[in-house]
Amino acid sequence: MKKLLILIPCLLVLFTFESKGQEEKGIAAGEIFGDLRARHIGPALMSGRINDMEVHPTNPRIIYAGTAGGGVWKSNDAGTTFNPIFDDYCQSIGAVTVDPTNPDNVIYVGTGETWTRNSVSVGDGMYKSVDGGANWTKIGFEKSERISNIIVNPKNSNEIYVAVLGALWSDSEERGVYKTTDGGTTWNKILYVNPKTGCADFTMDPTNPSILYASMWEFRRTGWSFDSGGLNSALYKSTDAGKTWNKIHTGFPEGKLGRLAIAVAPSNPNILYTVIEAESDVKKGLYRSDDAGKSWNQLNNDFGITVRPFYFSKIVVDPKNPDIVVKGGLSGSISKDGGKTFKNLGNMHSDIHDIIFDIKDSDRMYVGTDGGVYRSWNQGTTMEIVENLPLSQFYHVSVDNATPYNVYGGLQDNGSWYGPSSSAGGIEARDWNPIGGGDGFRVLKHPTKNIIYSEMQGAENVWRYDVDNKLIKTIQPLPQKGYPKLRFNWNAPMAISKHQPDRFYMGSQFLHKSEDMGNTWQIISPDLTTNDKSKQQQEGSGGLSADNSGAENHTTIFTIAESTLDQNIIWVGTDDGNVQVTQNGGKTWVNTSLNIAGLPKNTWVYHIDASVHHKGTAYAVFEGHTTGDMKPYTYKTTDFGKTWKNIISTDVVGFVRNIQEDFVNPDLLFLGTEFGLYVTIDGGKQWSKFTNNMPSVAVHFIEIQEQTNDLVLATHGRGIIIIDDISPLRDVTSATMEKALHFFASKPTVMVDQNEFAGSFGTETQFVGQNPTKAFQLKYLLPKRHTFGKMTLEIKDMAGNLISEISPGKAKGINIVNWNYSIKQPKVAKGKTFSFGGFTSPRVPAGSYKAIITKGKDTFEHQFELVYDKSSKLNDEERKFKYTTIMKMYDMTQELAYLVYELDEIILNVPVANKKLLASLNSLKETLVITTGDNYVGSAEPQLREKMTDLFSKLSNSYDKPSNSELESLDIIVERFEKAKSDFEVLKKKSKLTSLKIKTFEEFIKE
Amino acid sequence: MKKLNFLVIALFLGITFQMNAQTAEEVVASYFENTGGVDNWKKLTGVKMYAEVNQGMIIPIEITQLKGGKQMTVINFQGKEIKQGVFDGETLWSHNFMTQKAEKSDKENTDNAKLAINDFPDPFLNYKTSGYTVELMGSETIDGADTFKIKLVKKPLTVDGKLEDNITFYYFDKENFVPIAVHNEIKSGPMKGQMSEIKMSDYQEIEGLFFPFSMSQGLKGQAGQAISIKKIELNPKVDEKAFLFPEETPATPSGN
Repeated sequence: MKKLLILIPCLLVLFTFESKGQEEKGIAAGEIFGDLRARHIGPALMSGRINDMEVHPTNPRIIYAGTAGGGVWKSNDAGTTFNPIFDDYCQSIGAVTVDPTNPDNVIYVGTGETWTRNSVSVGDGMYKSVDGGANWTKIGFEKSERISNIIVNPKNSNEIYVAVLGALWSDSEERGVYKTTDGGTTWNKILYVNPKTGCADFTMDPTNPSILYASMWEFRRTGWSFDSGGLNSALYKSTDAGKTWNKIHTGFPEGKLGRLAIAVAPSNPNILYTVIEAESDVKKGLYRSDDAGKSWNQLNNDFGITVRPFYFSKIVVDPKNPDIVVKGGLSGSISKDGGKTFKNLGNMHSDIHDIIFDIKDSDRMYVGTDGGVYRSWNQGTTMEIVENLPLSQFYHVSVDNATPYNVYGGLQDNGSWYGPSSSAGGIEARDWNPIGGGDGFRVLKHPTKNIIYSEMQGAENVWRYDVDNKLIKTIQPLPQKGYPKLRFNWNAPMAISKHQPDRFYMGSQFLHKSEDMGNTWQIISPDLTTNDKSKQQQEGSGGLSADNSGAENHTTIFTIAESTLDQNIIWVGTDDGNVQVTQNGGKTWVNTSLNIAGLPKNTWVYHIDASVHHKGTAYAVFEGHTTGDMKPYTYKTTDFGKTWKNIISTDVVGFVRNIQEDFVNPDLLFLGTEFGLYVTIDGGKQWSKFTNNMPSVAVHFIEIQEQTNDLVLATHGRGIIIIDDISPLRDVTSATMEKALHFFASKPTVMVDQNEFAGSFGTETQFVGQNPTKAFQLKYLLPKRHTFGKMTLEIKDMAGNLISEISPGKAKGINIVNWNYSIKQPKVAKGKTFSFGGFTSPRVPAGSYKAIITKGKDTFEHQFELVYDKSSKLNDEERKFKYTTIMKMYDMTQELAYLVYELDEIILNVPVANKKLLASLNSLKETLVITTGDNYVGSAEPQLREKMTDLFSKLSNSYDKPSNSELESLDIIVERFEKAKSDFEVLKKKSKLTSLKIKTFEEFIKE
Repeated sequence: MKKLNFLVIALFLGITFQMNAQTAEEVVASYFENTGGVDNWKKLTGVKMYAEVNQGMIIPIEITQLKGGKQMTVINFQGKEIKQGVFDGETLWSHNFMTQKAEKSDKENTDNAKLAINDFPDPFLNYKTSGYTVELMGSETIDGADTFKIKLVKKPLTVDGKLEDNITFYYFDKENFVPIAVHNEIKSGPMKGQMSEIKMSDYQEIEGLFFPFSMSQGLKGQAGQAISIKKIELNPKVDEKAFLFPEETPATPSGN
């Protein structure tokens, strides 16, 4: 003990030194996030893109899903539900593999999605878990960008092959096939072609681990084009565990090849399938070899086989039957005749990327799509969606001012949606409403009318939806006389105005303005882009397979911000690097990006946030990942872009997509990066990653809801994530951090009367978004975690009466403690069963209260206000009457409890011989409390206790004042109780137990 | 001068202490040293905790744990005692809330409970003789405090008929070597695969031993349910019969 006592003071001294050291460099927000915690609201009903599915080799209940932007999910119940197991790391997944010799524990994850669409994210290496996914260690391949396969030799856990597809937008030498023979300590590159060619697919002969097949793919994407194929694409085979490789092209088409898929039939390793992207359409399609690759025959070039190879080049063979083959595709196809003919898989979300078969029963399949994971019980004929994968890939989010507020946003291949930030019983799939088709992007609510704007890719349609009247109109800007063809980005920008509610902006290469909600448009700028014609050749995009979806449209406007301080100030950012500003409503424009030092030319302007504090101030984020530049770029101007200051610190990892300035504290900024959310409380000198229940997911857009101060994040892979009430961050300074305890200001809290019916039908296996609390929240800052000694929190009224005791938070930084503005439930008479009404804790009246924290010898006091909910429309007098009636019943309930206690004591002490008195006492008791039955359908007839507590509960749980009917019922109870009391007094006298020592009423209540 | 010397020495000791605590064994040893000493912990024969859970409704609970694995949690609702998680070393049982009658837990849960009978008062105390292993996984920040992350591997559990590793992660505060958080993967039921979290604070001394008087229990990353401990009784006198499964189910549970 003494040792400890000595240690504590000296540690305190140590701490003082440390905190002084910290003062000089400011406060890293990461140390003080404390109880600020992310809340996930999904949705999961449309789920999101899946890249790779994996089975456990011996346990059919275990399945993994590697997702495009939402990490790795593991199912322990054969795909009924999934749990995330990779939240702290890069969420873009290429491959998930288990070690066949230790499949319960050893898992490898290769990051970086491999279906290389325009919106694809990037990986940051390969990870290993030795405990079934509880902990992960990075084991290299930091520059691989995307890993397509990992295969562990089933006979030797130390021998692992890694297929690296590599960088999509730039040359990279970290590509090809790698091998380790020492469990990952050292790696050798065993197959490499050139900096533009990576390994797209890789497999091993299941009966002979020395036989390997690798498909190499020459490919490149830019912001404005995609090129698949070249003379370097090829299919290779090694028979000596990767020492030597030979092309196996006998029977292949001549000329350039594109992306090739390769699969070995597990039940007959001589049978191979490959899907070939070739120059000639006739020669594209499925090829089969029956001699382990010596020769190939083309079997099929149907649409389902040849469609979009960069997106669907996946072929899977039934583990038991070499003639059952499944191909990824727009719908997915299955062949049961060895690949000669195919039919579509059953109805499900389109864009099928991977398929796995159950290890024991090939009728059971799992399919990964652009819209989540599907299960089939009948070999792919009917498909059912997994309902608890909230992988939605939002591009954008906006909020309205409703109570609760709604969130609006568009998703990759999943349209546009809006839904509530809170809903009875949690935010369920059925709470979400579709608000646009195709790929969804930006969605904006009209500032004053119940009208929503949404769009699909390339502004092909921009919708204006009149919600009340259910009227939909398309309002996209159309070609105008005297202007060239309009160029809209795939993710075309739109904006509304704080100054003119009906104003609506859209950006092509021009800025379009409408003052009548999109009915008529006016162009208010010249071409604001570089108008570089070499970046406008999308017809030729795709390489061997034409792919002109509009996804590569370039030299377009990408972001628009009208200043909330002055409607004549408008900022525009373009995908080719221009930051343009007008200070006169569009009459003249200045390109300010020329003044940004350290920023590579033509770097995509992803977002501009016009400051709400100062007219000349704006923040601009740039990202160059489509040129292979993964660095974070964020700048601030205070002089309309004449000068720009870099506000990125070395703390930020990953390129930046969004920034949001706090509307109260200009030094509080939020940054959305490809690997998560960062926060600064000092204007960008130091950034801290926010990790409290927040995955390392790409954050594409950030909003602050101004009534609630909630931070609302559009993540591209984990749906909408909310951090409720970030206001405490505004008040964290070195001064507040130095205090032993600092209370944050609290707004008056409404004691919510509103309620709804909530049913949990169907939610057993469904993702349900979390609700915010309705409780009063006490928020305070601690400079250090409280671990030793007593720390208590009491709520008292202003007269000092104790109202409630709550467990306080102990974390360093921000603590948030909820109190449901209720007192302790009444002490209820003891009966045979529970009186459920007696479990009710009545609310306190509105007014001022004190929170008192005692920490060691110190006490800290904070006053706060509770107010009534106006929606129930009770006046002060009615509130007072309601409260006194409830408390009258509360006291009566406790009085009855004491009476029954006294009665029980007398029964225990009356001589057994006095049968008559005992019988009278017992029959009195039988009228006071239930003395038989159980808590379910065996329950007995309710007695006085039950009637009393039920009415007490009814009144307490009602928003309304007591009704006449309720008061009449109360009279009956009071009469009955009065009679019971007088009957008891008579019996008590008869018992003559005057010297019986029992607890006083106060002792009884407090025990 | 003397005071200053003392401080310097203490500081030095403090630093040395931190520097040296690099293995899991040393962290565990420091934990016991700082909380009362291994010998005193070994002398402990039982603990009875009087606690309160505030779920809007305030629920008083009593948790009893004895050497040899006997344990029970008694919840008091309206003067009625409902026992949960009662284990006499052989049978694991609880009262059904509807009928208030005792019901046995399923065999797999009972068998798994038997694996932990030597864990009182702390699985780290005899971890070597119990055949458990400990490993220092590194450092992690919990509630803003720097901690050592220690992996404790106990005997494998049987889950749905399959043996599964029984792993718990403890986070020991680097300043004072007491655990402030525990993470454990939920192994069965609909929550299977999710990580549970217990946080501990308010360590206070009872007869020379330190116990956390405040805990919160929930899922990792989420706000937990607070449990506030009002009183701890060491080596309590408990009627051993209280742990036995009442074969002849009485009309009302004990406590009436």
